[in-house]
Amino acid sequence: MRHILRLSILLIGLFASSASFSADTLPPVNTADDLGPQVDQPIEFPHNRHAKDMGINCMYCHTYARRAPVAGIPPLQKCMGCHNGIESVKDKPRIKELFKHWEEKKPIAWKKVHDLPDYVRFNHERHVKRFIVQQDKPVQEVCGYCHGDVKEGTVARRQKPLSMGWCVSCHEKAHPTDKTAQATAQGPNDCWQCHK
Amino acid sequence: MIENEFNRRDFLKVLGWSGAAVAVSGCGFTSVQDGAETVVSYVEANEYMVPGIGVYFNSTCAQCDAGCGISGKVREGRVLKLEGNAASSINRGRLCGLGQAGVQAHYNPDRVTEPRTGKGEKLDWEKALGQVKEKLTGVSGDEIAFLTGNLSGHLKVLLGNYMDALGSKNHYVYDAVAPAVVRAANKKAYGSEMPALRLDKAKVIVSFGADFLGSWVSPVNFSQQYAQFRKGVNNGGRGVLVQIEPKMTLTGANADRWIPANPGTEGVLALGLINALGAAGVSVPSDIAASVSAYGVDRVSKETGVSAEQIQKLATVLKERSPSLVIAGGGAEGYAHGSQNAAAVALLNQVLGNVGKTVEAPSVVPFPQLAPTAGGTTGLKAFNDGLAAGKFKVVFTLGANPVYSAPAFMKLSDNLKKASFKVALTDAIDETAAQADLVLPLDSAMESWGSLVAEYQADDAQIGIQQPLMERLYDNTRSAGDILLSLVKQQKADDYKAFEDYYAYLRGAVVQAKGALGGAGMDDDEFWNTVLSNGIVKTGNASSSLRASAAAVALPAAVAADSAFPLRLLPYVQPSFRDGRHANLPWLQESPDPLTTIVWDSWVEMHPRTAAKLGVVEGDIVEVASKSGSIKAQAYIFPGIHPDAVSVPFGNGHTTLGRYANGVGANVFQMLDPVFDQETGELAINETHVKISKVGQRVIVIKDEGAAGGSQAGKKIAGRVASNKIDLSKEV
Repeated sequence: MRHILRLSILLIGLFASSASFSADTLPPVNTADDLGPQVDQPIEFPHNRHAKDMGINCMYCHTYARRAPVAGIPPLQKCMGCHNGIESVKDKPRIKELFKHWEEKKPIAWKKVHDLPDYVRFNHERHVKRFIVQQDKPVQEVCGYCHGDVKEGTVARRQKPLSMGWCVSCHEKAHPTDKTAQATAQGPNDCWQCHK
Repeated sequence: MIENEFNRRDFLKVLGWSGAAVAVSGCGFTSVQDGAETVVSYVEANEYMVPGIGVYFNSTCAQCDAGCGISGKVREGRVLKLEGNAASSINRGRLCGLGQAGVQAHYNPDRVTEPRTGKGEKLDWEKALGQVKEKLTGVSGDEIAFLTGNLSGHLKVLLGNYMDALGSKNHYVYDAVAPAVVRAANKKAYGSEMPALRLDKAKVIVSFGADFLGSWVSPVNFSQQYAQFRKGVNNGGRGVLVQIEPKMTLTGANADRWIPANPGTEGVLALGLINALGAAGVSVPSDIAASVSAYGVDRVSKETGVSAEQIQKLATVLKERSPSLVIAGGGAEGYAHGSQNAAAVALLNQVLGNVGKTVEAPSVVPFPQLAPTAGGTTGLKAFNDGLAAGKFKVVFTLGANPVYSAPAFMKLSDNLKKASFKVALTDAIDETAAQADLVLPLDSAMESWGSLVAEYQADDAQIGIQQPLMERLYDNTRSAGDILLSLVKQQKADDYKAFEDYYAYLRGAVVQAKGALGGAGMDDDEFWNTVLSNGIVKTGNASSSLRASAAAVALPAAVAADSAFPLRLLPYVQPSFRDGRHANLPWLQESPDPLTTIVWDSWVEMHPRTAAKLGVVEGDIVEVASKSGSIKAQAYIFPGIHPDAVSVPFGNGHTTLGRYANGVGANVFQMLDPVFDQETGELAINETHVKISKVGQRVIVIKDEGAAGGSQAGKKIAGRVASNKIDLSKEV
């Protein structure tokens, strides 16, 4: 009897301690900004110059966002479309690097900074249609829901947690269905929308 | 004392529980990775290309010779999935499992990626082709041989030109599981090797061993016709299918009646049916009637093992349900008297008046130079005889693996050594390439240009165009067309200098004929783009006609069985493996055989009664020995086979085909006896007699089905009726 008692106390104790240890390591659902680490890119791309100073629409370069699940990185061809004609910055080191890649026809291997786990499907097109097309919200604001205030940064850096709890925190809110309607709707909250 | 009470077992329990606690609490959170993976953007992107969205390109399937059109989904420059091309009159948007696995043939990790010598040293293309040229110098045309699988289209033309340039007539076409005997019999009876079979118009089909739903000639086309036949779209009611074969195939399993006539007696049964039809009032030409008068129901019943009642019922069904269709297939032709069997079946068709109704003139592409060369085993035999006589110094192989699929009695592997320089054009180091002195690596079908004309085209004749669905996976592979073009340029540089590569050759040839191919009035680019966009070119039909020349058939007397080898071996052509060239595709190994559901292995199929007599149970490893060789494989007890026969599937038992094929199953080609069809000289694959002995090992058979017979868990899902209790006349 004592044997069983001791054994069970030991078991409960161990279970409780390991469970509480892991509970401590589980982060609470966090909707606050969560700045990711600085990631070195092959070319230090200044988002601020493009999105803020020049006022270029996000979807001018990330043109696939409204048509596909992924926003895509623009092809080099797109960079060259403008930079071929901008004499004033042609001798800057970053632009020289760009031209070098173009002349060698060598693609740039960017580092992913918004890399969801493979079992999560995020669809850019759906979100762009909902907020930009239907609700007519400003593009930079909508992209910023997930990507933060890109126009203030240089090299892209993760700004938001992109965890499931964080996604759900937005999907639980009631959003107007279009820019004039009083009706509201929530984002889908069933598992298979993202975990297919 | 705690040490005494807390023993090792308890300690392990505690350890286990605490481990589980950590595991449970650790679930549910995976961090987003920053900067761990790269995302590579395009340098220049096509406008139609959107990342994450697939684009479809049409091409032609190269997994078998049926020539189905395919449509490949390509995303971010990689081909992901194949579908059937809806515009193709052969498969009308459908595709079989073998075709689907074309993607895996492309991504197969065991592909040869660089030209190499027999010793495995890597070469560049210039050196490799230079070696061929050097070895051909001073060698006469008679001393050069080229063995290929079935060829058609522009590749066939190019090879013909190459052989002409070398002054050689030794191009042998070899297909290990071809319907070659039936072709010859059809040619005699109808004037066409492969007439169009209108399954959809028939009210009853009697198939003598043609597995048209599984592996025979053009299964995707036949399957769709079969669906129409069963729905009664063109024949005014559900059609009845009777399958006569000693080893049940997929088609047999779908039939209303599966009749396991004694192996080899298909011709006797067909003549018996003609006799019975004549007696029942069907008009039979007098000379034919006289020639079959000896085949009375009793005699036929005795020889075939089919009851007299069953024969009468069959005759009644055939008489009352017209038009009917009778087909001879692999089950009927693989005998020393295979030609007579096939001729008897063709005669039955003629007596029934089916020619012109359900047996029609085929659609023929009006470019005879592109028509397929349909080979059989006679091509292999001639090639082997040449090797054995030491005639050949330089031999090429393409699309054929004779070292694997030639029976051991041919001693092909030894004979091949007599040739001093052997070149293998191949995508994997198969058994033949392993013996080669030079291996030239081929592009996959997803990477190469080509054209294909199918042997069987029921309607709307077309040329299938093969185009790359993606860039090469390996820089140093080349398409068969490019290799042949380089080789022919070595001989006749001036004639081919206009063509930089095979693409230019193919495009030039197709565009040149645009007037005849429906492109009159289009400019060249527009026409060529239309061709590529469609994946096929409709050619219009050349005139072709059938004749019904009914001639009496004389069947040889049955040969007494050899008591030392009491059972007949009926090798089985599996729908997904065919002659074994696809055994290195894991999807196909993983796909259960439609009847036995066995995966990743060979098996010896035997009737429960035979197994009981031999004391064999499922999973026993048995040795199947013929006069010419033996194999060992697991036994599988199956009621769908004649008690006097055993069946082993073709396709497995490879030794060098790569990680997914090596050591899986046994190679049944090797043990076939040297018996040939007396008219055509084709190898009679059902004429091998064997004995079975237990080895003393037993394994668990890896299969998808449950216990033998299926218990249905007591739920009576499908009712059971003994076959002799079913009244076939109700299906009339």
